[in-house]
Amino acid sequence: MSSPLPLLSARDVVKRYGAMTALAGVSLDIARGEFFGLLGPNGAGKSTFMSLVAGLKRIDGGTLTVDGEGVDAGSDRAQHVLGLVPQHIALYLDLSAEANLRIFGELHGLGGAELAKRVASALDAVQLSDRRSDPVKNFSGGMQRRLNLAAALLHRPKLLLCDEPTVGVDPQSRNAIFELLQQMNRDGLTVIYSTHYMEEATRLCTRIGIIDHGKILAVGSIDELLAQLPFEEEIRFPAGAPTAPLVAELAGRGELSTVDGTHRFRPQAGYPLSAFFAVTERLGLAPRLFASQRPTLEALFLQLTGRNLRET
Amino acid sequence: MNSILVLVKKDFAVVRHNRTVLVISFVIPFMLIYLFGQIFGVNQKDHGPSGIPLGVVNQSADPAAKGLIDALRAEPAFRVVDAANPGDPKSPALREEDLNARIRANDFRFALVIPADVVRTDKIGLHLKIYSNPRNEIETQLVNGILEKTIFSNVPELLGASLEARAREFLGSPSLDRFDSDLAESIARAFGGDPAEIKQRIQDGHFGIGQHGRKGDADPARVKTEDVLDQVFQIDKVQVVGANVKSPQATQLVGGWAMQFLLFAVTGSATGLFRERDQGLFQRLLSSGVRRSDILWSKFIYGICFGLVQLIVLFFAGHVMYGIEIGAELPHLIVVAVFAAAACTAFGMLIASVARSPEAAQGLSTFIILLMSAIGGAWFPVSLMPAFMQQFSKLTLVYWAMEGFSQVLWSHATFLELLPTLGWLALITGLVLAFAMWRFRRGRIFE
Repeated sequence: MSSPLPLLSARDVVKRYGAMTALAGVSLDIARGEFFGLLGPNGAGKSTFMSLVAGLKRIDGGTLTVDGEGVDAGSDRAQHVLGLVPQHIALYLDLSAEANLRIFGELHGLGGAELAKRVASALDAVQLSDRRSDPVKNFSGGMQRRLNLAAALLHRPKLLLCDEPTVGVDPQSRNAIFELLQQMNRDGLTVIYSTHYMEEATRLCTRIGIIDHGKILAVGSIDELLAQLPFEEEIRFPAGAPTAPLVAELAGRGELSTVDGTHRFRPQAGYPLSAFFAVTERLGLAPRLFASQRPTLEALFLQLTGRNLRET
Repeated sequence: MNSILVLVKKDFAVVRHNRTVLVISFVIPFMLIYLFGQIFGVNQKDHGPSGIPLGVVNQSADPAAKGLIDALRAEPAFRVVDAANPGDPKSPALREEDLNARIRANDFRFALVIPADVVRTDKIGLHLKIYSNPRNEIETQLVNGILEKTIFSNVPELLGASLEARAREFLGSPSLDRFDSDLAESIARAFGGDPAEIKQRIQDGHFGIGQHGRKGDADPARVKTEDVLDQVFQIDKVQVVGANVKSPQATQLVGGWAMQFLLFAVTGSATGLFRERDQGLFQRLLSSGVRRSDILWSKFIYGICFGLVQLIVLFFAGHVMYGIEIGAELPHLIVVAVFAAAACTAFGMLIASVARSPEAAQGLSTFIILLMSAIGGAWFPVSLMPAFMQQFSKLTLVYWAMEGFSQVLWSHATFLELLPTLGWLALITGLVLAFAMWRFRRGRIFE
């Protein structure tokens, strides 16, 4: 980290929409060079937080600073420090890829040869140089997403806000976006990445904040977060009649949930795996039915909220 | 069959929730049917134009001249203006030398002068003068028809007086008096009645002359008709405005349709704000240091530029197709087009600011644009509408834009003469834009 001061600092940030509180006292520091994930279900407050950081909405309480400057709706300074990749394809679909980038570059005060250079570089980075003159409406969803990202990078921001930037994207384009973001992060760009996909957060982020109902429930690296769980392993086995006796035996021994026809058992502290497998052996269940793995963020979310991340 | 019924039921359920379809299907046609019905007098005994201001200058002392003015006052098509300051009861009478300026200022577009020699002594007949600004052909034909009908059907006394005067000149007063007495006694003997009363009626000019028809005029600038009737009724016509304009009707035609489609175009552009919002473009723009007001002002300036280009192109098309003379009037035409485009754009932004969705904006704008075009004079002269509707015409930007185009292309108005019209357009623009901006600030289009 090049500076001890956090690039983004939120203190007790509150945002209300009428009677509904979208953010209820969010406090968060994000250091320079971090790849920070904001993980939470739809409606958790991720986009609201992004909007406040981007200066799109007014804060109802608390303070929010970016690069040492207070952020409020309409403030210019912070807006030149950050780039926003909105959830939607925020592009002029009738215009070409190049025309779009030129418009957004000019809005950031770029012009002439420098603008042309950055447009070419951005198109190259998202592998769209050969389609630069094509109308964006003729692009695939993945190509549009990549251009959506490129438009936020033209002015070389210090902080990139990615608000669920891979919604509806094919695996190839998703990988291209991930690789570009990771490369830029390695080059020093700070990224805040909001998602409700646990896998994305796990793959990309060095630190993750879990958010629900407008509150940050936990913050830390993956290891730090998972260390909060009272178990170290999660055992998965198929739901159905053969395993029904086992389910009955496990009552009071830990947490059991079912997702997509698979039971997930998280043993409580003091209940060793050896005891679990002794029961399966006694019930005559084949060992191949069981898979033990390190718990995921989803397990943590369930632990924190009592709900499944994917079911919310 | 059940599937078809279910799907039909579904379509009705969907349409019930689509206000745009309901407005376009029912409300707009209803309003237009009502409007046209009013204009064409469907189910009305006395229909037709009403309240057309008519300047009247009376230079004659003949009592029949007053009778003619009373007849004009009784005609619902006209609103007689015979005072220099109509609102002032002590105002002096309107003078013939004021007519050119008053007609150019559009206080009225038609004026009748009853000259001192209305009852002619050099030959049998009447002499009248009509000043006009025939900028709208339909209105001009209607006014001429109603004016001449009123003259010919209500004041045969004038012609009788003319006959009397002519006879007095030939016979001398004593001889004429004897002639009148003999004629009255002969009539009384043949048909009954009081000879003294009959003589009085003869001397008052009551010869029982009925109505006359009359042909239209060939030369709009100044015509002295030459047929038999026209020798009796000499009506001098002075066209105050637009005498040299080749294509008077084209100005109304092109201006009206251009305004209507400019409104559709800039309203479509303004309601594009919804599309940009839904695409997240505002998020990107606002996070790029663009202010909300920048977005709104850019829409306004774009609307003016687009409108200016559209109007000028359409008027040039009118020039090519119908010979509308733009030439030296181009600078003034551009000025009016800019003000008209600004008013239209402000209107478009108002629609975008009050509607809750693009669909609602489309329905609302279609309704108001068609209504405003109709009552603002884009389709037909305002004077054809019922009086109560005419009161609303001047509240529409279409009316003032049409007025401006007509002033430039028909009246060749100076910039000074254009100022009041431009002022009204600017006032409408300012009020509408201020309200729209206020609504935008209160609304959530940027969130």
